[in-house]
Formats: sequence, structure tokens, C-alpha cells
Amino acid sequence: MAGSNEVSRAKKATRVKPPEAMFLGDLANQQAKRYRLAQGFGALFAVALVLQAWAFANVFSDMVLSQEFSIFFLMLALFALLLRALANYGRERVCASASRHIRYGLRHKLISHLTQLGPARLRIEEDAALSTRVYEQVDALDDYYSRYKPQVFMVTLIPCVILLSVIPVSWVAFWVFMITAPLVIVFMIFVGHKAAQANRRQFNVLAMLSNQFMDLSQGLAELKRLDRTGEARERLSYSAQVYQKTTMGVLLLAFLSTATLELFASLAIAMIALYLGLGLLEILPWQVGVAPVTLTQAMFLLLLAPEFYLPLRQLGNDYHAKQKAEAAATDLMSILNTPLSVQKAQVVTTEYTPSSVQLSYLSFYQLAWHETGRQRLAPITADIQQGERVWLSGVSGVGKSSLLHLLLGFEEGYQGQLFVKGKPFDQLDLSIWRSKLAWLPQTPEWVNGSIRRNLLLGITPPSDSAIQAALRDSQCEAFIKALPKGLDTPLTELGSGLSGGQMQRLSIARAMLSKAEVWLLDEPCSGLDTETADAVLETLEKVSQGKTLLMVSHDTHPIHWADKHWVLEHGGLHEQVV
Amino acid sequence: MNKSSKLSLRGLLLANPWGFIIPVLTGVAASVAGVALLGVSGWFISAAGLATAMGSALVFNYLTPGAIVRGLAILRTAGRYGEQVTAHNHLLGLLRILRLWVWDQRVAKQTASVHTQSRGDLLQRLVSDLDQIIRWPLVVFLPWLYALLGYLGVSLLVYCISPSLLWPLAVCAIWHLVLLPYLCGRMASHAVHVGQILGVHRRSRFVSLFSALVTLTIRGHWQDYAARLEQLDERQRRMEFAIQQAVSLGRLLGYLVTIVLLASVFWLLGDFSLQSGVWHLKQGVQGTWVVGLILALLAVNELVLPLVQSFVAQGQSQVGLRRLNQLQQPASARVSHAMASLTQLSLTEWRGFHIESGLGNQPIDFQMQSGDRLWLRGASGTGKSTLLASIAGDCMASGKAYVNQQACELYDNTGFQQHISYLPQSPYVFQQSIAANLRLGNPQASDEDMWAVLDAVALSDWVRGLENGLGTLLSSQGRDLSGGQRKRLVLARLLLRSAPLLLLDEPFDGLDKATIERICHALDNDYKPEMLILVSHIDSPLSAGARVIEL
Repeated sequence: MAGSNEVSRAKKATRVKPPEAMFLGDLANQQAKRYRLAQGFGALFAVALVLQAWAFANVFSDMVLSQEFSIFFLMLALFALLLRALANYGRERVCASASRHIRYGLRHKLISHLTQLGPARLRIEEDAALSTRVYEQVDALDDYYSRYKPQVFMVTLIPCVILLSVIPVSWVAFWVFMITAPLVIVFMIFVGHKAAQANRRQFNVLAMLSNQFMDLSQGLAELKRLDRTGEARERLSYSAQVYQKTTMGVLLLAFLSTATLELFASLAIAMIALYLGLGLLEILPWQVGVAPVTLTQAMFLLLLAPEFYLPLRQLGNDYHAKQKAEAAATDLMSILNTPLSVQKAQVVTTEYTPSSVQLSYLSFYQLAWHETGRQRLAPITADIQQGERVWLSGVSGVGKSSLLHLLLGFEEGYQGQLFVKGKPFDQLDLSIWRSKLAWLPQTPEWVNGSIRRNLLLGITPPSDSAIQAALRDSQCEAFIKALPKGLDTPLTELGSGLSGGQMQRLSIARAMLSKAEVWLLDEPCSGLDTETADAVLETLEKVSQGKTLLMVSHDTHPIHWADKHWVLEHGGLHEQVV
Repeated sequence: MNKSSKLSLRGLLLANPWGFIIPVLTGVAASVAGVALLGVSGWFISAAGLATAMGSALVFNYLTPGAIVRGLAILRTAGRYGEQVTAHNHLLGLLRILRLWVWDQRVAKQTASVHTQSRGDLLQRLVSDLDQIIRWPLVVFLPWLYALLGYLGVSLLVYCISPSLLWPLAVCAIWHLVLLPYLCGRMASHAVHVGQILGVHRRSRFVSLFSALVTLTIRGHWQDYAARLEQLDERQRRMEFAIQQAVSLGRLLGYLVTIVLLASVFWLLGDFSLQSGVWHLKQGVQGTWVVGLILALLAVNELVLPLVQSFVAQGQSQVGLRRLNQLQQPASARVSHAMASLTQLSLTEWRGFHIESGLGNQPIDFQMQSGDRLWLRGASGTGKSTLLASIAGDCMASGKAYVNQQACELYDNTGFQQHISYLPQSPYVFQQSIAANLRLGNPQASDEDMWAVLDAVALSDWVRGLENGLGTLLSSQGRDLSGGQRKRLVLARLLLRSAPLLLLDEPFDGLDKATIERICHALDNDYKPEMLILVSHIDSPLSAGARVIEL
């Protein structure tokens, strides 16, 4: 027994499963207990099925032959029907609960993975698309886990139970079942495989259709000005028609597979009915004058015949659930497979601390970042003193933003050393370090809520006068006064008519209120026109005095007031005169 | 379906009645054949058994019932296939109608508030709401119709056997067809509604959390936000549980009703005789027919079981419909004054502003006519862009506008917009080929026209360098173009239109000096507009001879 187990395990290991199937299988294994319970209910269901058929067969034959019926068998039949209902109820609840556990657990995992990825998540997709994955795509697994997965078990169980119970009754019926069942399966696979391929293409077409709608919808203002909305409508209508046509092509094929199943099932049932009828009339060509079955047995077989094919037909109907789940799994896996920054595994044996480190606020020593063979940041060695303001420039892709992400503590897979006030970065308490930071990215980060709520995000609310002072210094006062609701104006997802410069000023005010020591700025002026950018930089100059500041900015927006100008290149860091 | 009418489920059902009748008929045929298949074969076998027992096997006509059984089997399969194919064809047609309806509503929406709806919200409506609605006939209407017809068919059989059975049959039919689905719907309707609202809420909170992730993390705050997201998820889960509970329970009750029905059939057809201690069938009731009836009832049970879901699906469709109807716009919201030409434009006390924030420019007066060139200048935040957008009719404005000395509403006026070309600060490039993007300006433009205009905006070298030239497909929102390229491409599209009034908002941002000069040269010669209003913070050859308005 143990040996055969090992063999089967070895077989399992060598059989190549597509990664999606593995992913789905692993998730299902988490709920193995529930699925076992569901299998128990399934077994109960199968037994009730046979019991019901047997009891009804007895009632029927009595009724036909002698116009009477046994109350015992009637009660038994109704009891079996009740048992079947209850088993089905239990099975449904258990499976739905397993599916819920899997999906909500997975969603929790996805969200916490994404939050830990930090800025790196944008390498997968933008946020709106990620939200579709986390919600719709995870829910797309529901049918698979609540219906398809348990149905796979029923498909093997019910026909087996029925076959077993048919053997003592009629060999002919047994063979009819035995021969037609594999045929049904073969046909299903044959047609289903083709349909599956077409189905996958169909998914892409549908996505393209949504995409086209969103594209035209986003440019609607332009279309209206150009008076081309009619053409756009025609385009949408045309592609919808094409979609309808191609989809129907796919569906014709997909339904053909279910129809084949139905046909086989129906014909098999009809064949059995005919055989039984002729058998009862004793006119079967090979058995004239002999009845191969009694009426009770005939009834029994007739009642079981549809049930034999039913689970297979249901599986055929739920087959698309599997395809949907596999398509979703591809997207979900790409999130979970994006590695979190690996904790630094190497033990620093030679704790080399350059003398300048003790004096500096921030020191980089041979700090570099290689990731899967790609150099994200060339080795750099430099210091920033407390209160020093540094302008970092360089061509795009050279690792300026990567350096900031390292400092934010989102990436730990760096090489070389990074010190804060003489202390190695990996020994810092990350939450304390982060509380000293202010972050001003290209597009300011806002949560849904009022301006006030955004300004005071996560800090102990300062006095009103402090808020007013910060707004004055960041030159937000004027435009906030102009707003009808002032500080309580909600900042919606799309802004409320505030310009890019005004938004950036608000984030300066926020940085000031947070009393952060270290300001990290990632091209805060890149989206602004030169004039606005100059004004914002001027404000920054005034309010950031005394702060330790590292600011990434292109040469098009020079920071004349910086204490140092670093130029990052693929070879390393050079200091230039400001 | 009328362009501006409100959506309703009934309206959708009648949108294409002939397309709907075919799947209904084939589906009915399949369902009736399914019920009859079991009933007839039950009767056939019983009758065959009886005939042998009575010794009349030789005169029993076994060929006809055998043929009927096989015929019904084939009819059931073919009917089911036909139903599925035609029903889905109908649904896809509906999908097209609904999509176009959404598009019409978007077009009818006022330009200034087109973007009040977030991308995520629109996507949700477009995908999941449409999905809920088009499922309605398949999940709600058709199963209910089949179950009803199944019951009608059985009641005919019952009438032949014993009319007294009609009463319990009617009671059970009401339970199965009306009461149970209604009760389940009631049980689940709260959860369905809350669940749909939670879905939207959850998504916007997700986007909110992630759009400020770094700041929240730095401030040690994202756990709170993530926890709230978890709470929403937890509530959603409870709603999902409630819905599933209602459906499962409904199905269980459906079984119970069937069991009661079967029991009452036996009770009404049977007589208990004390002498023998067994139940007899009543006088005149044929055992073979009863067998057929019981089998048919079991088949109807299968038809009835999906119904408990139908009212839940009904609730979902209605929520989806209500959400889509929120997009609905009053008819004829746009003004359109056809005008022959545009030679003169004057504005008095003119102030453009945004609806939500009320921010805008100081009121100004100016007048311009053919040959004039205007340069709007001012510090950042003085509302130059807003002013320009309001002249283009994209943005609300107060004050009076006169076109060719006649008072005219500029906002969202198609007649006026035919005579202007407006390059906004962040222009939109469509996910189509370069040629298709350019032809939006002028559908009749030839390849030569396009190359000429690309040359004028200094993009022709870039396009020539592309593998597919003019046919190059641009990515979503022109993401593979630089800001300067995007602006120039849209400018080229506008120049093809050759409208008399050209409005340019910071056209030279991110461009080098040589390119700026080339564009200015084109705008001074081949592509010279009759009137030009320019918003720019830098000097250029274009602004050299222009009248300056300082904001």
C-alpha cells in the first residue's frame, strides 16, 4: 500500500500540470476538509438516488400489475427523495462555503501582497486594473470552486454507484451504460477542446471591446468637438456586430458539445426503454418468449437511466467555469508571483564603516541594486549631511526612482551599504524611520476625502493656526479661500478643478504639517509647465530650509538652490557644481 | 429601443420580439419533450409489462410508442440546442443595443460633467451591470416559462386520470412558480442590494487606498485603511452567504413541495381496504397512467428547481438596470445653432468656470474678427486654460457671447463648435492607427494631406521611421508617445479640419526651439487660421504680432 502510494506520488510529480491548474489545485487543497464533507454528502446523494429508484420501481410495478401499492415502498421512496434533497442542500452549502473561504482568503492575500509591493505594484498594472483583478477575477473563481470542482467527484461517483446497482439486475443495461459513457466522454473532450480554444480567443475579443468603449468614452469631449460621435457610435455598433458573429461561431461549437452529450444520453435512455419494453413483451429478437427482466427491474432501470448521464451533462454545462477560472488564475498568479523584496540574506562579515558615515545623516557606500540580472541602480557612494538639500538628476531608467524607493524601505534586496545617522539601514526600525519621511511624487497621492483630511493624514491634528501657517507658506491660502467649501472641499478621484501646480502645493503643505525631517521628492514638477514649475520650486526652496532633502528632477527643471547636484549615470554618481 | 427612453426589463424583452420568440418556442419544445420522454417511456414499459402479464403481448402495438420515445429524445436534444444558440444570439444583440444606449447617454451628457464619473465606475456599469441585465431572459424569464408549461402539460394528464388531482396540483404549482421564488427573492433582496452597493464602495476604497499607498505607509496608517477594506469585504461575504442561503433553502423547500404533491397524489388515488391491509388504486384509475404521471411530476420537479434563483437574479437585474438608468440623460440637452461662418467673436463680462469648484478667470471683455490673433497671458492659476475651454464650449461660463454680432450660447453648441478647433492642455489620442486619429479631423483627408500636415508639425520623420507608417496602431491613451508628440499629433488632426478659429493651450510645452519655429511657420503660412487664440507662457514667432490680453 505504502509502495503504491509512493509510485502514484512519483507519477503525479512527473506529470506536467499547467501552472494555472496547480494554482487552482493548491487553493482547493486548503479546503480539503470541506470538500471531503461535500464528498460525503455526494455519496449520500448517490445512495438516495438508487434507493428512490428501487422503491418507486416496486410501487410502480405493483400498481401496474395489481392496481395496488405497498405503503412501505411509497414511504421509502418519498424518504429517499427527502434524503436526496437534504444531501443536495448540505453539499451546496459546504461547497459554497469552501468557495467563499478560498476566495476571500485569496483576496486578503492579494491585497496584503500588493500593499507590501508598494510602488513596485505599478510594474504589474495600474490601480484601476488591479482592482478588477482583485475583485472580479477572484469572484470569477466562484463557479469553479462551488460547482465544477465538487461536480468532478460526482461524475465518477454516481455512474459507478449506478453501474454497481445495475449489475444484479440486467447485464444488457449494464453494457449499454458501460459502452455509452466513454463515448459520451470522448465526444465531450473532442468537441470541448476545440470550443475551449475558441473560447479563450473570445475572452480577448470581449476585453478589446470594453477597451474600445473606454477609449472612445475617455476621448468623448474631443469627439464631440470634432462632431464625430456618430462615427464612433457606428464603430461601436460594427464591432459589437462582429463580436456577435464570431461569438455565435464559438457558441455553436460549444453548444454542439453539450448537444452531443444530450443526444447520447437521450438515445441511451430511449434504447434502454425500448429494450425493456420489448423485453417485457418477450419479443426481443434473440430472446423471443423470455422476459429478461421483471417489470420492477425494468422500472428500476428506467428510473436510473437519466440519472446516469445527468452528472456528466452538468459537468459539460459547468465546463466554461473551469476555463473562466483558469483565465482568471493567470492574472492572479502574475500578482502573487511578483516577488516582494527579499530580505538581505548575506551576512555582512566585514562591517566596514567609512569615517564620514558617523558625521552624515545619510550615507551610501557601494550601494547598488541588481535584480534578476538587471541593474536597477549602479553602485554609488555618497553622503548627505543633516539639513543638506540635494538635487539628483540623470537620464530616465538610470535608477533615480529606485534609490528613493530604497530609502522609503520598499526594496530591501540591495547590495552594498546604506546608513542613516551611522546606523545600517537594515537595523533600523522601519516604522520610526518612515515616520521621519515626507514623500512628494510626480502625481500627488490623495485618498478620497476632504482637503483637510488629506492634509492631516496620519498625524496628530495640529492647531488651526499651524494649518493656516502651512497653507500660507505653501501658497495654498488664496485658492483654498476661493473654494466655496474651503478646506472641506472633497478631493475626488479626478480633482475638483485644481490645477497640477495647486495640487503639488497642497502636498507641500502636507509635508510641512507632518514635520518630517527628510523630504524625498520624485520629479514633483514634471507634469507642470515651466512657469508653474518655477513657482512651485520657489515655494519649495523657502519651506524646505533646514530639512534634509533629496529631490529627483530633470535638467529641464534645474534646482538652483540645491546644496549639491548629483548626476546619476549607468557608471555611478558624479557631483556637479550647481 | 429608443435612444433616450428609460431602460426596462419589459422593454428589453420586446426590443427584438422575433429574435426572442424562436428561442422561446424551441425551448418550450425541448422542455415538453423532456417531460413527455419520461412520462411516455414510463407508460410504455408499464403497459408492456401489463400486456405480457395479461397475455395480450402479441396484439400490443409496441412500434408506435417506441418511435415516440426515440422521437422525443431527439426533439429534446435538438430543441435544447436550438434554444441555447438562438437565445444567446438574441442576448448578444441585446448587448449591442445596451452598449449603444450607454454610448448615447454618454454623448448626451454635458461636456463639462463628462468626467465626473470615474473610469472604474463606468467600467463596472459597462461590464457587470450589462451582464446582470442580459442574463435576465435566460435566468429568469425562460426557466419560469418552461416550468409553467411543464405544469400545464401535467395538468392535462391529471385531468384525464382524475380531475380531483387538479387541486393539489394547482396549489403546488403556485408554491413552486410564485410563492417560493418570491419568498427567496424577499429573503435575498436586501443582501442583493447591499451587495451591489458594497461592490462599488469597495472598489473606490481600494483605488483610494492604493493611490495614496506610500503616504499612508509612511504615516503608519495603511493598516487602518486596509482594515476598513477588510471590513467591507467581510460585509460583502455575509451578503453573499445570505443570498446563497436563500437559494439553497428555496431549493430544499421546492423538493419538499414535490414530496407533498406526490404523497397527495397517492392519497387521493388510493383507497385503503381494511380486509387486505393494502392500498388499492381507486376504481377507474389505470395503474399505467399513474406511473406516467409520477414520472412526469419528477421531470417537472427538475424544471422547477432553478426557479428559486430566478427572483434573486431578478433583483440583481433590477439593481443593474437602476444603475444603468442613472446614466440616462434628458433628451436634447445640447443646443445647436447652425451658422454659416464665423468671422467675428466678441465676449463681454465673460468668465469661464468649473462647475464643481467654481474656480475660473476674472471676467474679461474682448472682440476679435478675421485676421486677429490673441495671446492670453497670466500667472499660473489665473484661469487661462479655463477661459480657453469656455470659449471652446467645453466649460461653463457667465457673461455674453456674440458670434457675427448675434448673441450665441457657446457652451456645448455643436453649430458653433463646427467652426473652431481646440487643442486642450492634455489632448486625447485614440487607440487607433495614426491615420484614423488624423482622419477624425477630416474624414476625406488623403495620404498626401496627412503627410503634409505631419510635416507641418514636425512629426513626419518620426512616422516615416515607424514600421507601419501611417497605419501604426497607437497604444491606449497614446501612452507610447511623449507629451510633445501627443500634442503635435492632435494639432495635426485639428489643422486638417481648417476651422476658422483655432484655440491653442500651451502648444509648445516640452518642444525644442527648432520644432516650435517649424510649427509657427506652418501656422503662419499653409495652415494659417483666420483667427487664433493662444495660451502660452513663452514667446514664439506666433505671438509676435498678436494682441496680448493679460489676465
